[in-house]
Amino acid sequence: MSTNNRKILNGYHVIFLTQSTMIGTGILSLPQRLSSLGYSQAFVPLLFGVIASISLLPMIWISSQYKNDNLFTINEKLLGKPFGKSVNLFIVVHFTLFLAGIISNYMHLIQTTALSEQSSTIPVFFLLLLLIYIVSGGIKSIARFCTITFFLTIPMLYFLRWAIEKGELSHLLPLFNFNGSQFLDALKKGYISVLGYELIMFYFPYIINQKKALKHSLIGLWISIILCFITTLVSVIYYSEWQLKNIEYSVLHLFKAGEFTFIERIDIIGITFWIFLILSSAATYLWSAKKGIDSLRAKKKNYHTYLITLAIFLFVVIPYSREYQDKLFKLSYQISYIMLAWPLLLAVVHSLKKKQVKQ
Amino acid sequence: MKFNKLKRTIKISDNEETTQSKSSDSNESSQAELFVNHPEADKTIEKIKNHTGRINDLIFKKIPTDEGIVTVIYTRSLVEKMALQVMIFVPLANHINQIHQVSEKLETTNFPEILNRLISGQTLLYFHHTNMLLCIDTYSAPTRSITNTETESTVIGPQDAFTESLETNISLVKRRIQNPSLKNEARTIGTETNTKISILFIEGIVNKDNLDKINQRIDKLHYPAFSDISILKQLIEDNPLSPFPQYYMTVRPDSVTNYLLDGRIAIFMDNSQAAIVCPTTFLEMFISVEDYYNRWTTASLLRMLRFFGFFLTIMITPMYVSALTFHPEILPYELLLNLQESRSKVPFPPLIEVLFLELIIEVLREAGSRMPAKVGQTIGIVGGIVIGTAAVEAGLISNILVVLVATSALLSFLPPIFLMSNTSRFVRYIFILSAGLFGLYGQMLAFAWLISHLLNLNSLGTPFMSPVIPRKAADLMDSIIRFPIAFLKGKKGISNSKKK
Amino acid sequence: MNRNLILFFASILIMSILVGCTDKELKVPLEDVGMVGIMAFDYIDENSFKLTVSIPQFSPEAKERAQIFSVTTDLISKGIVEIETLSDKKVVLNQLRVVLINEEFARKGNIQKAIHHLYRNADVGNKVLLAIVKENGEEMLKAEYPDKPNVNIYLNDLLQPSINTAFNPNTNIHDYMYTETNPVFDTIVPLLEKKEGKIEMDGIALFKEKHMLKELPEEEALIIQALLGRKKLAPLYLELNQAEQKEELMMDLINSKVSIKGNKNMESPKVSISLHIEGTLVEYRGGREKELVNIKGITKLEHDINKQIEKDIKEFLEKLSELKVDPIGLSENFRMYYKGKWNNKLKEEVISNLQVDVQVDTSIISTGTLK
Repeated sequence: MSTNNRKILNGYHVIFLTQSTMIGTGILSLPQRLSSLGYSQAFVPLLFGVIASISLLPMIWISSQYKNDNLFTINEKLLGKPFGKSVNLFIVVHFTLFLAGIISNYMHLIQTTALSEQSSTIPVFFLLLLLIYIVSGGIKSIARFCTITFFLTIPMLYFLRWAIEKGELSHLLPLFNFNGSQFLDALKKGYISVLGYELIMFYFPYIINQKKALKHSLIGLWISIILCFITTLVSVIYYSEWQLKNIEYSVLHLFKAGEFTFIERIDIIGITFWIFLILSSAATYLWSAKKGIDSLRAKKKNYHTYLITLAIFLFVVIPYSREYQDKLFKLSYQISYIMLAWPLLLAVVHSLKKKQVKQ
Repeated sequence: MKFNKLKRTIKISDNEETTQSKSSDSNESSQAELFVNHPEADKTIEKIKNHTGRINDLIFKKIPTDEGIVTVIYTRSLVEKMALQVMIFVPLANHINQIHQVSEKLETTNFPEILNRLISGQTLLYFHHTNMLLCIDTYSAPTRSITNTETESTVIGPQDAFTESLETNISLVKRRIQNPSLKNEARTIGTETNTKISILFIEGIVNKDNLDKINQRIDKLHYPAFSDISILKQLIEDNPLSPFPQYYMTVRPDSVTNYLLDGRIAIFMDNSQAAIVCPTTFLEMFISVEDYYNRWTTASLLRMLRFFGFFLTIMITPMYVSALTFHPEILPYELLLNLQESRSKVPFPPLIEVLFLELIIEVLREAGSRMPAKVGQTIGIVGGIVIGTAAVEAGLISNILVVLVATSALLSFLPPIFLMSNTSRFVRYIFILSAGLFGLYGQMLAFAWLISHLLNLNSLGTPFMSPVIPRKAADLMDSIIRFPIAFLKGKKGISNSKKK
Repeated sequence: MNRNLILFFASILIMSILVGCTDKELKVPLEDVGMVGIMAFDYIDENSFKLTVSIPQFSPEAKERAQIFSVTTDLISKGIVEIETLSDKKVVLNQLRVVLINEEFARKGNIQKAIHHLYRNADVGNKVLLAIVKENGEEMLKAEYPDKPNVNIYLNDLLQPSINTAFNPNTNIHDYMYTETNPVFDTIVPLLEKKEGKIEMDGIALFKEKHMLKELPEEEALIIQALLGRKKLAPLYLELNQAEQKEELMMDLINSKVSIKGNKNMESPKVSISLHIEGTLVEYRGGREKELVNIKGITKLEHDINKQIEKDIKEFLEKLSELKVDPIGLSENFRMYYKGKWNNKLKEEVISNLQVDVQVDTSIISTGTLK
């Protein structure tokens, strides 16, 4: 599809882009990340939804001030070229790391469940190849992929049936059985799982109906939040608190609870099918990162995508210590929180500049 | 009286045919007293003869008429004798005015034009007295009659199918849509073959952008020869490299009619049976026109079968590979014990086993389609039953795999479009290979590729996956489930022009 | 886009080459894999145990339908590796169905660690059934069952839920982990005993903390299941010991419903249990046979049944209260309203002070077709 600067994303595209980018590997381990709250975590995703909706507002506002620019150009315009560019470089590096985090996380999971006797180098290679293929289609084809991913993967909710049957609703009580520090800990660890909606700052210029973009992305956001909510809810009613804390990929074990007469282990099918969710969120990140390099070099080249992908590949595959790797990925998660606050800063700069111009 | 004259002309023409190579001065002299030949006459005839050179079935025939000598020039292989009689010789002998009424005048010096006329089956009449060249379309190459289709046959509904004649095909459509808005634009393509094509559409319903697009693409064509419309199709497709056909191809006039009425464009080509319909969508590859004749319940069931059959056929055998090599835990215990038992003698790994059997099926299919029908049946039985059971007993393959491969082979023939079933076969190999490499993970990777590839495809600029991600909510009424006819009003979203 | 397609076709090519390469070194085809169906742990001493596995034998020529290997080891995976040296195949745990633990191991050994290991292993499903074996697991696997084709399938089928063994808690690995790590529960596991030529399910084993505490008979196990809210219960056998005579009856239970309510008071905990059961009277022996033809008689019988069951339940719960164990999760009704972290100590407190109020409501829908 054409990648030139045209308005190509309609409402559905925005909804599902927002939605699919949020659902990736994060949701797999969300219950574990929130486990400091114990059983009371069930309703926390809804709270996250509120926080996310609020933080979405400045993003949309700053984007709609510069209707034809993505965040990279806005950075340059507001902060000046040198500083803006260095910020952009920072964002690109962050995205690359973040992507590497997503993919390495998923491949780790695949390696423990589905490909237990293989090194993950070649599987990663093919995953990235496919990622390039999807990204090369441009944002619209990514959006379409996200849409279809949603409809293909939503039937997986059915796999939760057995866990729901076995679970006990009484676990939901008492409602707010935690203290402040536990909550902050959960917020810090768990909020990563709902990240991804901030990418709207990058594909905003492509949206046809920019006035309704807020509404559409909110719909997408809340679909994801509700999915997260279902995940934590089912986890809470199915597991004991110890299990919540100690099972890293609780969704995997939720799938393990079920069986059909012809398929004994649904978890493997579910986890391999998860690749759609990984691809759809990774593709949007990769596309944004590519746009970043485009704006840094002021050129549009396809090999920018390959460059980033190569970097990701090296990050994931090179066997430096896992500890260091984890540290790096954690760092990039923390940078994500800066990304959430970034539009606020931009908004301040923007209004200051406007005042200057008026004077 | 009339009869006599007719006889006379026939006689003359018989004579002429045998002596046409000689110069016929005797005839000329007998009529000479009435009309004087134009001074240029012989020269002109000579020049035409020179230009046509070694086209041996070009016939020059001198006939004395009421307006002096007329030389009739035509290509014998393109004009039927009967047509010649009725359209040329009888009027020449009796009512020469008729000729003047129906014919078209040509420049006697425009030789390329003259040649073109001749090789396209028109008959030229040269009047020696007035040095005038007239031309009448007598093109009547032998065609076969309308028969029923073998590739897209249905139980209910009209049984006629297109033939290889462009005019017959257009007439088959036009008699179904008797509406002045049904237009057919004729064009000629093929730098060497000068093949006639005709673009059919219904004005007012068709999307103008699409029409422009298809015309532009045909304009850009530089390809010497078109022996079938499928070549044209591959040349004007949006993504020629894709394994998926992006235009609908059918030999059923009722199917074409349906699509025309939905605002699509149909392209016909002379000498090829099928017609292209564009734009089309992935889902329509699984829609047979019979779905509209069946009750909606049956039709929906069949559609679902075809659609999910496609995904099953590319998934079943890869599933076997990945379950046996990577994830034995997903199979139930009892089945697994059976599998172990039946595989205990098989010397190949599952991947090779599957590829082996799939290839045998391909060979059977290919051999069966080349062989004469009667032999083909025998071979089918020999191949299917003898090889199948013998291979299992010999311990070359496991019996469960035979069931799976046979099922998936049958499933691959479900799509009503034959090209689609070929595609499914190709895509299946990708899946088998990736399953052999990474098991279920590889399969899902391949599936994700398939989906993203399909999403990237366009058919004449409109997304190929349209009804899956509908352009219009009402499209869903006629997708995998066909709603009762009363619900199916209006055009599909794909036929509408893009929103600006 | 075209370039990408070429890219993709190239990758297909690479893929086919890779398929050729990787196949040799890594993948063991299905027929060369020995899939462990049953695993048995037998206690030797504190640090080591005897690990026995049963691998189904598919080859029609083999005399035995299962290969059974035993090793003495202190770690499961080490044991599996040792077994691999005995077996002609690659031993995998993908298809593990049943884990047997002998009583001694359950009472003294570190059963928790063994199950944790299996729970963590991604190859092993969560639906692996657990059972405690009286005496010896190895012997149970090695014994002959002349009318059963394969001990793997036999044991698996035996432990599956079935209407006549509704007292069976069908504990699988997840259930074990869930009840073991959940401070409101104590684990129960079915108990098997080897008889001549067959295996019998003989009540359940009740755990306290990490070790097996006690053996419970079928009737009590059935009460646990009823109070856990199981809908389909086994045919219920009752003896009504009223003052004048002894009555015996058998009921087919169609439906049962239980609701348990706690009084939210930690100091003097009290639960009220109301159990509603519906069923048909299948067999009756006793003095009232003649009265049962009319509704009045049946109502009276229902009333007597209610009393009997209430008494049974109360006695059983008192017993639990003395033992300070809670296989039913009655303390969940108090945890729900308790702010703060719940733990085993709190549970024991609740259970030992628990007062129970039981109400049973039986309705006999029919008395069969005979009058």
